[in-house]
Amino acid sequence: MSEPAPRAPVLEDPLVEHPLLEGRSSDAALGESLLRPVLRPAGWGWWALVGVCSALTLLLCVAIAVTLLEGVGTWGNNIPVAWAFGIINFVWWIGIGHAGTLISAILLLFGEKWRSSVNRMAEAMTLFAVACAGLFPLLHLGRPWKFYYLVPYPSTLRLWPQFRSPLTWDIVAVSTYLTVSVLFWYVGMLPDLATARDTARQTWKRRAWGLLALGWRGSARHWLRWRTGYLLLAGLATPLVVSVHTIVSFDFAVAQLPGWHTTVFPPYFVAGAIFSGLGMVLTLLLPARRVLQLHHVVTDAHLDALARMLLVSGLFVAYGYAQEHFFGWYSGNAEEMHAMSILRTGAYAPGFWLVVACNVLVPQVFWSARMRTSPGVLWAAALLVNVGMWTERFLIIVASLSEDFLPSSWRHYAPTWVDLSLLSGTVGFFGLGFLLFLKLLPPVPISEVKQLQREVEESEAFAREVAAQAGAPGGGR
Amino acid sequence: MTRWLLGEFRGPERMLHAARGLRARGFTRMDALTPIPVEEVDEVLELPASRLPLLALVTGVGGAAGAYLVQWFTQAVDWPLDVGGRPFHSGPVFIPIAFESAVLAAAGALFLGVLVACGLPRVTHPFLGVEAFRSASVDGFWVAVVVEDDAREAEAREVLHELGAEHVSRVEEGT
Repeated sequence: MSEPAPRAPVLEDPLVEHPLLEGRSSDAALGESLLRPVLRPAGWGWWALVGVCSALTLLLCVAIAVTLLEGVGTWGNNIPVAWAFGIINFVWWIGIGHAGTLISAILLLFGEKWRSSVNRMAEAMTLFAVACAGLFPLLHLGRPWKFYYLVPYPSTLRLWPQFRSPLTWDIVAVSTYLTVSVLFWYVGMLPDLATARDTARQTWKRRAWGLLALGWRGSARHWLRWRTGYLLLAGLATPLVVSVHTIVSFDFAVAQLPGWHTTVFPPYFVAGAIFSGLGMVLTLLLPARRVLQLHHVVTDAHLDALARMLLVSGLFVAYGYAQEHFFGWYSGNAEEMHAMSILRTGAYAPGFWLVVACNVLVPQVFWSARMRTSPGVLWAAALLVNVGMWTERFLIIVASLSEDFLPSSWRHYAPTWVDLSLLSGTVGFFGLGFLLFLKLLPPVPISEVKQLQREVEESEAFAREVAAQAGAPGGGR
Repeated sequence: MTRWLLGEFRGPERMLHAARGLRARGFTRMDALTPIPVEEVDEVLELPASRLPLLALVTGVGGAAGAYLVQWFTQAVDWPLDVGGRPFHSGPVFIPIAFESAVLAAAGALFLGVLVACGLPRVTHPFLGVEAFRSASVDGFWVAVVVEDDAREAEAREVLHELGAEHVSRVEEGT
């Protein structure tokens, strides 16, 4: 950081272990340090990662082409496992998206100051994750080009969608979620796009960001309406997060299949979504912070807060597992008991115990304050959580379907190369989207961080004043 | 034709002081242009509270009602279909889509509402032609004041300099 202002003796707040901003700098220097990633030319590391992600995206295109030309018969799912990778990946990706909205919207409503430094990246992650998620149900239709059958339009066939089916709820929920996430992200970025426009030196960059900034001038009238609109969008996005994954869980919970037919699913899915999303936020944030040199705005305080949230949502998820197995046993229903026992001791036991290890045991290390701020430990835990949550969705779908009511129809599932290509392809597509975002748009909300710095300075000045009065002769308690 | 004088200040406090000073001298058509929101300036400029919450409420309720109506009409009136003996007008299962539509309608209206209320998108603006004005999104706090004639312009310029403006620029809009 250039020109850090002389540090005033800051009074320690015993409740805050780590500062939200490291050092103090002028507004101009702060803005420049946050815009540096997009203003300077890309390094070889970025290009190498873009190469890998592009290759995987190409693989995704091949897998999609095969699915469209040959049909979904190229996938491994068949009766009885009629839903497999298509739905596993859908639920996994959309869950990942949820932490982005959680961080940006819910924490904004709660007035949490630490969200400012990480929300833009988390929201970008949400967008690409939801885009990947949306791909799977579409391909799973078999005839994706007829997806408009799910939309109520007046056709001469008088063919209406079946609105009692959770799958039509899904379409509305996911498209709403994607649209609202894009709008929320873009509205939040307007002031920073103007900063990028005014800071850029090349004319073409100035023009590109100028077009995106839509003529933002930072007028008092702009700010007044922007703040109102942004807060309202956050207020709308908050119940949306909960509703979207609740609706996703209805895909399962309204069925009568053992292992799916349970009332714990909506909260359990929402908790799992936030848990896996936090895992992905950490997976992306930690390397980005290191490479883009964002240590001054993404401090130990942020890692600490994210690790605490990972721990809490991990405990929710653990409670969900306990509930699931308890009610499987308590129902006294032979099929329900079987659905749970194949997880603990049957064919799917290795997967289940992997899930327990990754999702229940791993987050427990974050009871330790030192672990919460150790980037290496956090990153490893985040990767394990990603694996654990994917496996959890695999078990919910595949284990329940492969051994249901009729033992004569039991059959286990194995993915084909098309399934595996679709999964790895979306990972590459997601990574490509995120890399392009880091290079083209301001990755940290500049105006919000500036405002945060001002607020921190004001509260420090106030604390100093109080201390001076208390320490002054005659002014003490 | 509108004629503006733009003054740049270091920090929100000085900008607020200048805005109050200009107001005291009878300049009422003003604006503040800042890189971060400064809440106090809303009072100085006497900006009314935004009506966006009302817009969100109306469009949200409208979206929910519209979605419910579509579901009821298609499932219970136009093509009733007996699915396992469920009622044709199945209220509870119509709620998820009605809720999502409420959010979608309100969010879309809010997005357009913010843009319309701010007078955006507007890619060019006379202010953006002033080179020094680029600081308004970085670290400069600007006051813009409308001056009707040369006499008022001279007066405003003097006041701005007096109150500590670092830059004063003149901008004309329209023909």
